[in-house]
This record gives sequence, C-alpha cells and structure tokens, in this order.
Amino acid sequence: MFSLLQIEWLKIKKYPAFWAMLIIVLLTYPAANLMFYNVYLRITTQKGTDMLAKMLLGNPFAFPETWHTVAYISSFFIILPSILVIMLVTNEYQYKTQRQNIIDGWTRRQFMTSKLMDVLIVSSITTILYTLVAIGFSIYASTFDASKIWDQSYYIGLFFLQTFAQLSIAFLLGYLIKKAFIALGIFLFYYLIVENIATGYLKIKAAKIGGDIGRYLPFEISDRMIVAPAFMGRFGKDLKEAYEKSLSEVPTQIILSLLLTTAIWAFCFFMHRKKDL
Amino acid sequence: MHPILTITGVSKNYGKLTALDGVSFEVPAGAVFGILGPNGSGKTTLLSIILDVLHADTGKFSWFGNTPQTNNRKQIGSLLETPNFYHYLSAVDNLKITQAISGRGDSSDIDKVLEIVKLSERKKSKFSSYSLGMKQRLAIGAALLGNPDVLVFDEPTNGLDPVGIAEIRDLIKSLAASGKTIIMASHLLDEVEKVCTHVAILKKGTLLTAGPVDEVLAQEDIVEIAASNNDALLNTIELMGGFSKVKKHPNCLQLFYPVGTAQLESINKYCFEKGITLQQLQLKKKSLETKFFELTND
Repeated sequence: MFSLLQIEWLKIKKYPAFWAMLIIVLLTYPAANLMFYNVYLRITTQKGTDMLAKMLLGNPFAFPETWHTVAYISSFFIILPSILVIMLVTNEYQYKTQRQNIIDGWTRRQFMTSKLMDVLIVSSITTILYTLVAIGFSIYASTFDASKIWDQSYYIGLFFLQTFAQLSIAFLLGYLIKKAFIALGIFLFYYLIVENIATGYLKIKAAKIGGDIGRYLPFEISDRMIVAPAFMGRFGKDLKEAYEKSLSEVPTQIILSLLLTTAIWAFCFFMHRKKDL
Repeated sequence: MHPILTITGVSKNYGKLTALDGVSFEVPAGAVFGILGPNGSGKTTLLSIILDVLHADTGKFSWFGNTPQTNNRKQIGSLLETPNFYHYLSAVDNLKITQAISGRGDSSDIDKVLEIVKLSERKKSKFSSYSLGMKQRLAIGAALLGNPDVLVFDEPTNGLDPVGIAEIRDLIKSLAASGKTIIMASHLLDEVEKVCTHVAILKKGTLLTAGPVDEVLAQEDIVEIAASNNDALLNTIELMGGFSKVKKHPNCLQLFYPVGTAQLESINKYCFEKGITLQQLQLKKKSLETKFFELTND
C-alpha cells in the first residue's frame, strides 16, 4: 500500500496542475471566508443595529462556531480540487499510462487503489487547508479561547467526508468519460447548473411530491451534511425550524454519503477488473 | 525446460469482428520469436492479451509454465503499440515510475538504459518535448530496465530513422545472443528474418503457421534454372517432372520440390542430355517475404 502511495506521489509531485490547484485553494479558502467575515463586520458595526446583530449572529468565526462556518463557506469551492481529480484520472487515459502501469506489473486492482489514493490525498490536503483556515480565522477574528477549540471539530471529519464524496463523483465522471475537457464540461454543467436548478425545483414541489427528494441528488447528499451555519437560522420562526430540520437530517445524509461513495468505488473497481484497457 | 510462453486456443471478438480465432503456439526459452501479419491481423491484440491489457474471450496463456500472475509481468520488459509515459515528466522521472511498479533494477540502471538507447543528453527533458523516435527509444529503454530475461516488443522500430532501425536491430541481436527470449511483432519482414529464430504468421486473427524460421520457410525446395532459351527449357523440364509446380520469370524458371527432394545433379544431367546447357542452377531458400505473401494473399 505504501509503495502505491509512493508511486502516486512520483506522478503527482511534478504535475504543474497539482501545485496550481494547491495555490488557488490556498488563496480561495481564506479569501472567501474573509469576504463573509467582512459582511459580518459591516452588519455588526453599523450604528443602531450593532448590538442586535451581535446578539443574533454571535461571532460565527470564533471557536467553536468557526469549524462550521468555514466548512460551509469552503465547501462551495469543491470545484477546484474536483478539476484536479478529473485531470489526474483523464491524464492516465490520454497518456495511455493506465495500460502501461498494468503492463509494467500492477494488477488492475492496484491501479484502482492508486487512484483511490489520489482522491484521498487531494481530499486530505483540502481538509488540511480548511483546518488551517478555520484555526487561523478564529485567531484573527476573535479572542482566542483554548477551551473551546475542539468543541465542534467533528466538522473536520464532515468536511473531509463531503470533499471525498464529491471528489469521488468527479473521479467517476473522469473515469467513465476519459476525455478531460468533456468530463470537465459535464461536471461543471451538472454541478453548477443542473443540480442547483433541480434542488431548487424539488424544494418548491416538496409539498406536492411528499417530501424534499432533492436531498438525494448526488452532490446534495453530501452538501446537506454541513448545513448553513446557525446564525443563518436565527431570523424568523420558519427559518429556525428549517435549520433544525436540516440538522436532524445530518446523520441520514452522512449514511447516504458513505453508501453512495462506497457504491462509486465498488463500481470503479468492478469495471476496471472486467473491462479491456 | 518449460516454454517461456504457452498460448492455447486464444480467441477474441469485437462484436462481430473476430480479432483472434483459437490461436495456439509456444515460445521456447532463448527464442527470438517474430509475430507477423498484415495490419489488423491480430498481432497487437495477441500481445495485449498476454500482457493482461485485454481479456481473451476463450483460451488461456501461461508465462514460465505458470497461470497468469502479476509477478510474471514484472519479469518481462514490454513495449506495446505506443510509448506510454507521463508527458509532463522527464525520461528519468518516467523510468523511476516504471522501476517502482515493476521492481526491476535500481537507480543506476536508469542511467545505464538511457545510455543504451542514446537518450542520456536529454534525460532531464520532458517527455512531451521528445520526437517520435526519441519516445520509441525511451519505451525500449523502459523495457530494458533491470535487464529482464524476457522482452516483448510490438513494432520496436516504429518512428525510428534508418540509423535508429539498424541500432535497434543490432541491440535485439545482441540481446538474443545473451540468451534472452524476445517476442516481437513487426511488419518489417526483412528485420524479422534477420533477427528471428522462430516465427508465427497471423492473418485476420487466424494463425497460419508457427515454428522455427527454417522449418516455416523450408516447406519447399526452390530450384532456379536458366538457359539461353528459357521457353525451350520450360518444355524440356516439364517432361522431366518430379516438382510440384514451375514458375516462369523473365530471366529464369523456378521449380518447386517437396522439401529435401530437389537433386541439382539430376536436373543438370537431364537438361544436358536433352541438349540444353544450363547457365544457372541454384537451390534457393525461400525468403520470409515470399512465404509471407504466399500465406497471406487471398
């Protein structure tokens, strides 16, 4: 297993897109959170409403709430590591190295395990960046209180699972489509447009069709593991109820995410064992 | 001694197209085994199956007397169809990956094989900057890593210039001389004839013949004869008989005899007695090219 990891590192460490993605994520996560933080600052420093806003919002960037807030905001940018994952798998087809790796001695199972490791590596790096941003922001935006640091740190696990689940979908697309640009196009079109419209539509029709089945859409399954932060549910009775309902659905969404991700990888391993390369 | 490779009844279909139809043969240890056939005859499909890139529909194969095992492929240096490397990596980095996967050789081997395939000066250049010939050389270098006892080359001289072709031919000869088993698919009949000890000829997925080159080629004795009047010679020799067929060429006649039955002395004597003096009398070995066209032409 360790040797597979070493070989994947040999492939990745000199891949320019890997470092480019890392730099972009490194810039994007703090920048996006900074943007939200500035909105929070503006609301809470306006004369007349500042006290009320502070009371309602709390400080979403202070420990322990920062784990949740930063996870929620950062999860919008899963698209960046997804592009890298699609490139990593389609490269193997473009260069025909998926055949060469087998010719040189890997089993098909070892090849697929190495790709699983790629997705785990990218998910881990993304999660580490999220963790650093969450800690950094909390130190920057609030009075540091060491006793509360780990209170909601389970969001690290949720963020990792969400990232891994969504990158696995990106991997599946790249694996099946094989052509980088077509896979990227379909991924972006579905992720940014189709699923958002479908989710919105199904939410509106929820009452008619007996429930919000949008929560079962591929990305939505894991998106709903990290619900909108608490302060967003503090305005009005309806929103608070919706927030609490979303929270109650989190365990189900976690199980569904695990099932979908397992199914994706089981399918990929099965396909790779059976098909001609 | 076990054959290095045994192929038994391997078939492969792509929909209605039969790419391989019950192909069976053995590759003995130390052989330079040429697999010949026109485009689309199934050469690359066959090599892809024995390297586990494609699944056979029926039939089986075994390396070193074993059933297919991963470790078998690690002992074989292979170049299949095209040079497949990571474009953004240098020759050295690509070979590090080959080495890590196959476990063949150590870091000093990388420099050694790059020297053999004459890529040392460009070893740090990205693969994407290589010419077609350089890419092919790198693929041959990768196959040579760790000095494996068995090599599989699919069209090894593809993309090489005449000097490169001659170098690779010499390299294959020297590898064969050192006792390695080489399985090679090629269009270049002349190349195969120069280096191969054994040959298999495929056509539309069917194995037409397989065995030692001498046996495959020597199914008939060909005697070339010529006189000042070849028409008269033809009339005379037809009366003599004993051969299976005769072909008339502009400058000579070719007589085909079952292997081992041509007697030059008798032919000479018969013609002389009939008043014809032969200007040419020669027992010729059939060229691989002749045999190939004979077998593969409809």
